[in-house]
Amino acid sequence: MKIGPALLTVHLWLVLVFLYVPILVMAVLGFNASPLYALPFQFDLVWYKALAGNAKLIDAGINSIGIAIVNTAIATALGTMAALAFARYKFRGQTILQLLLFPPVAIPWLVIGTSMLVFFFWIDIKRGLFAILLGHVALSLPYVIVVVGARLATFPRAVEEAAATLGATPWQTFRRVTAPLLAPGVIGGALFAFAVSFDQFVISYFLAPPGITTLPVEIYGAIRKGFTPEINAISTIIIVVSMGALLLTARFYRFGGER
Amino acid sequence: MSTVAVTDAVKKYGAVAALDGVTMTFREGEFFGLLGPSGSGKTTLLRAIAGFVSLDRGQVLIDGKDVSGVPVHARDIGMMFQNYALFPHMSVAENVAFGLEVRGRPREEVADRVKAALAMVRLGGLEQRRPKQLSGGQQQRVALARALVTRPKVLLLDEPLGALDKHLRQEMQVELRRIQRQVGITTIFVTHDQEEALTLSDRIAIFDSGRIIQEGAPMAVYERPVTKFAAGFLGEANFLQGSVAAREPNGLARIALQIGGDASCRLSDGQVGQTVLLALRPEKITLGEGGHAGVNALRGKVLDVVFSGNSTTYRISVGDQVMILFRQNLAQGTVAPGSDVLVSWSPEHLVQVTP
Amino acid sequence: MAVADRRNRGAILALTGPAYLWLTATIFLPLSAMLYCSFLDKSPLVPQPPVLTLKHYAAFIDKAVYQQLMLWSLELGAIVTLCCLVIGYPAALALAKVIKGRWREAMFLMVVLPFWSNALVRTFSWAMVLRPGGIADQAIHVVVPGAPALNVLYSYPAVVIGLVHSYLPYMILTCYISLQAIDDSVIEAARSLGARSGALFRRVVFPMSLPGVLAGSALIFVPAVGSFMEPRILGGAKGATLGMAIEEQFTVTANWPFGAALSFMMLAAVLLICLALYPVARKRMEGL
Repeated sequence: MKIGPALLTVHLWLVLVFLYVPILVMAVLGFNASPLYALPFQFDLVWYKALAGNAKLIDAGINSIGIAIVNTAIATALGTMAALAFARYKFRGQTILQLLLFPPVAIPWLVIGTSMLVFFFWIDIKRGLFAILLGHVALSLPYVIVVVGARLATFPRAVEEAAATLGATPWQTFRRVTAPLLAPGVIGGALFAFAVSFDQFVISYFLAPPGITTLPVEIYGAIRKGFTPEINAISTIIIVVSMGALLLTARFYRFGGER
Repeated sequence: MSTVAVTDAVKKYGAVAALDGVTMTFREGEFFGLLGPSGSGKTTLLRAIAGFVSLDRGQVLIDGKDVSGVPVHARDIGMMFQNYALFPHMSVAENVAFGLEVRGRPREEVADRVKAALAMVRLGGLEQRRPKQLSGGQQQRVALARALVTRPKVLLLDEPLGALDKHLRQEMQVELRRIQRQVGITTIFVTHDQEEALTLSDRIAIFDSGRIIQEGAPMAVYERPVTKFAAGFLGEANFLQGSVAAREPNGLARIALQIGGDASCRLSDGQVGQTVLLALRPEKITLGEGGHAGVNALRGKVLDVVFSGNSTTYRISVGDQVMILFRQNLAQGTVAPGSDVLVSWSPEHLVQVTP
Repeated sequence: MAVADRRNRGAILALTGPAYLWLTATIFLPLSAMLYCSFLDKSPLVPQPPVLTLKHYAAFIDKAVYQQLMLWSLELGAIVTLCCLVIGYPAALALAKVIKGRWREAMFLMVVLPFWSNALVRTFSWAMVLRPGGIADQAIHVVVPGAPALNVLYSYPAVVIGLVHSYLPYMILTCYISLQAIDDSVIEAARSLGARSGALFRRVVFPMSLPGVLAGSALIFVPAVGSFMEPRILGGAKGATLGMAIEEQFTVTANWPFGAALSFMMLAAVLLICLALYPVARKRMEGL
């Protein structure tokens, strides 16, 4: 199979081109002076400067970051606890609980977003940043549980017992042995939660009242009105932030701490 | 140097009794082996002494004091785990220092004692390495140094040599005994490898289904097993069934063997007509080509010959049973399969066992 | 691993409770609420005593346009899934079996990274590329001057391209995991028995990677059927999907009960399809 592997490799590279070229094109056009995307290319930072003056976008950006940070804290805490329970104990209903992690991921976010809209209306939670936060944490939880769970699976259990035989109290064992070994997984899960929340569009779209939005919702509205390079600029920033967070996740998850 | 005792220990998991009434005293400074098949309760007992398992009934005493309510970290024990359980995120030196640091020992004292411990296991110079950079044998020495540096009352070993290859294993066995004698610490270890138990221990106990079947010095347990299980578990044994034909004045008894012929041996009890089971070790049987069958001598036919370097194993059919015989290879050559042979033994090598 | 007993039960509850309470309050209860809503006569936005009816489900059955939308959406989901499979499987194969060492991890990361970045932004980037006067248009004109202007944007193919771009990494990821799990020695055994590449793939590699294929398909089909953002941006008013119709019920028309009914019809259709294929899938994956 001599040609086979070569063809496959070429195909893989083409796929990567397919995945990245549009993003690169979009990013590059954000640095182009022409407001109509006309070539030839003329480097200019005018659109980024315009962003700085766009109060609505900046507000939306602050909302997005704020929600993402709170979401990360909550989802990481809750998700890590649940992952610990799955790894440390064997109990009836464990499989069911693990299966229940699928709906948030598998059901179209359209359905989840609209049902949250309906439910929150009935229990009198107004649309707004709090409602959006509720939704984001729900979506982040399965990812945190899976990432931390994967890390826990490779955790050498006996080291905690060894620490106890060496005289460490449960708190000392946690502080000096368990936590350092868990840290890469938890950080990976946290970064994932941040990315999920920061990028989340559909849920935010339905739960955002007029006047208060997150960055993706704001961008969507701008796109509906018409394409402008300002959108390119803010989109590029978003992509850089979320890809950056995910690159860090990868580093912590695969290479950080002990493999 | 401490004593450890377990009295009437019972531990049940659901309907299964992992420990079914175990009583044992471990003497100061001795190297004690817990031996038995998997699930027999030996590991459960070890972990009960450590404090990871809480007994349903019975007590664990260290130096005469009941430690049943004492948590693991306060029992002052040292433990070595099957896969060493070294802290992967710490260096060798940090691993060894851990027990001293959590006790709050001053930094200089810790550094000195770590150095001494690593020297004792002959690993000086590797302080800064990480566990994954070490070989299996080296990791094990680190685990040993780590367990001993705190000068615990008792050392517990959970199948410590299981993960090593044969050569390394033998090397470590020697090391382990050397260090244990040097330090003088009471050591209890668990193994399913009977050869290891025999070589390392001052005393051993054989476990079966949560109970201790027999305990004592290795040689005593080997030569004088009490039950069929004990005889079969430690090495190989031939089992001869028969009924007591007559009792003789000097304490000997004449037994009519089921496979034919007679045996004569010392029997502690046994009325005439009673069925007895006798164990005979393969290395105690003599192989001869001529001779007549008689008391403690039977004729049979060689089925199989396996040459193993310093000894040869023969499988011989005697009557309707197959007997196993080991013979040291002194320049005698081997007897060919199919030969008609005489197997004989002396009466003191027959041991009565309960079935 | 500690077996659960009375002492542990408290710990287990304390650890899993908060997360699952949250999920109940934000996913499971809302879904139930939406189900209830689909039976309401009038939108709950207007305060009135609730009247239960089946008329919204009836409307779906009566009005052909919604059934058509459903079919189109299912069709869209199927096409997107198929394209992802055809494009993604070979890429996964390359990653799992051809590329080795550090390159493999690096390229895997590069494949997965766009997937976890903002879907909206990626969809927008395709709009950039596909619009008349955009890069694709200009590239074609460089190669074939005088060709008609590219009018891909605001069309069905554009929607497909955008959705494939969004979900392709999912398929590559699941297929990669499945393929990587195939022990090299199994492949060597097959070769030693005389299997050539075609037979090797057909009879050994592909069947053993089926779990990954199916997982990826399920994870792509469902969201693709329910998509509305990509069709709206890349398909304009013309790319009509059930997802867009549902979205309208909640934002423009404010007919929540009808939107809820449509949502559950969509979920039901997807579930039926999965259930129908499940026995077949199960049989094919026996032993894996």
